[in-house]
Amino acid sequence: MRQNLAVRNLKAKPVRTGILILLTALLSLMICGGTLLVASMRSGLASLEARLGADIMVVPYEAKTKSNLENIVLQGNPGYFYMPVERYEKIASLDGIAQISAQFYLASASSGCCSIPVQIIGFDPETDFTITPWIRRSYAKQLQTGDIVVGNDLNAFVGDTLQFYGVNCHVAAKLDKTGTYYDSAVFTSVETIRQLIASSLEKGMNDFSDIDPQSVVSTVLINVAEGYSTEEVMNDINIHVKKVKAVQTKEMISGISASLKGTSDLIGVLIVVVWGLGVVILLLAFSMSVNERKREFAALRVIGASQRNLASLVMQEAVLSGLAGAVCGTVIAVMGITAFHTAIEEQLGLPFLMPSLGKQMLTSIISIAAVLVAGTAAAAVSAYRISRIDTALILRGEQ
Amino acid sequence: MKKLTVTDVILLVLSTALCLGVKLVFHACGPKEDGSWMTCHWAEQAVFAVSIGMMAIAVVRLFLERREKAGAALAMSLMGVMTALIPNVMIRLCMMSEMRCHAVMHPAVVILSVLTAIAGAADFVLSRKEGGK
Repeated sequence: MRQNLAVRNLKAKPVRTGILILLTALLSLMICGGTLLVASMRSGLASLEARLGADIMVVPYEAKTKSNLENIVLQGNPGYFYMPVERYEKIASLDGIAQISAQFYLASASSGCCSIPVQIIGFDPETDFTITPWIRRSYAKQLQTGDIVVGNDLNAFVGDTLQFYGVNCHVAAKLDKTGTYYDSAVFTSVETIRQLIASSLEKGMNDFSDIDPQSVVSTVLINVAEGYSTEEVMNDINIHVKKVKAVQTKEMISGISASLKGTSDLIGVLIVVVWGLGVVILLLAFSMSVNERKREFAALRVIGASQRNLASLVMQEAVLSGLAGAVCGTVIAVMGITAFHTAIEEQLGLPFLMPSLGKQMLTSIISIAAVLVAGTAAAAVSAYRISRIDTALILRGEQ
Repeated sequence: MKKLTVTDVILLVLSTALCLGVKLVFHACGPKEDGSWMTCHWAEQAVFAVSIGMMAIAVVRLFLERREKAGAALAMSLMGVMTALIPNVMIRLCMMSEMRCHAVMHPAVVILSVLTAIAGAADFVLSRKEGGK
């Protein structure tokens, strides 16, 4: 019966109820949305660290000096660079190397479906230790010549045929989402990428017109052997192998880590500030509402409602409007971020991987709880005040 | 004009947002370098065409009796479902999901169409309940 009265009170004043719901919805939108954004960026960075999977990356010196290495390797901007395979062999002969594998890059020309190029990465399944373990999750067989594995963001499916530089490639598998540039890349074997590089050269569509596709590599990935430090091996390569630049992969992502920390700190501060402001605004809103309704509460006291009943009524109204607003705000935040995650990722320029459904639900529940705590805490002050009103004075209009 | 209901306003706002938005705000990818269009452009055109119909029905609804409004709401609900299916189901979008048609147009069209479908269906169900009383 008492709950019915609270619901009827809320329905009777749609504007007041609407404003309360809007305030709590904005509060939960900010808390849930901000938390999900930070969690997604952290997942993306963790995924990128796992995907890099090597201690050292060696690239042709021009790639480093042109500062396009991070764009290509970390941001996923399609591009390519090559160095003679002899440098790979020389690096492999140095001490302190436990695992070594070469990769081959090529950017597709705009194909029939799209106006932007796709990054094609070739790897040697015999020696690869960074891409293969992750491809194995989606595709356990050996890649044949002409087979490609597509990243999760590509609108191509197993069995489709894609054409790059006039070469038909068969989609053998589609990878799971990683939240990194790998999602929009195409992976293939050494034979296939050499075929594609040769075809791009034949068509005059490759910037490196004088290379022999059979005797070049783009990058060399290295895992350091036990007993050697990464710096030691990296310096050894930089000193003894000419025209290459060895870099630590951890250093490469330090810039992204710093950006991520800055962004997540800012969002964290904003969440706390908005929550604090929300509590103050709700406090004012409930206070004004209770002041406006003093005569109504006094009338309820006259017909037999106890002080406790009045306080309970105010609290119930606060919980109901708070819950409605918190649920609306949380649903909008989750739906908005899920639907527009790609656009958000593009704007942020950081790796972005949405948390699992379980984590999203947990974040939603915590956001709703935080908003309810703010709403009920603000209403509790007004409930205490209304429970102590002097009915006679109010009805006589003296208070 | 008959008395405005909340659903009248919601359906008119949603269909107008879809119609104007798909051309001005959350449009598909631009033309290729050679001036030709990708398939996502035709998805945009199809959504625009259907949303003009939806907007027209939403305007006509304002002048109808309650029972007729319910029929129009049901039609808008079905058109909403069809519109949500146009991008990437009926007409395939571009290859990479980071492209504008996937990142912006697809989610915006699906959200607005589904909301229109829900609002239309809710209005139809409510009017049936009112009629039964």
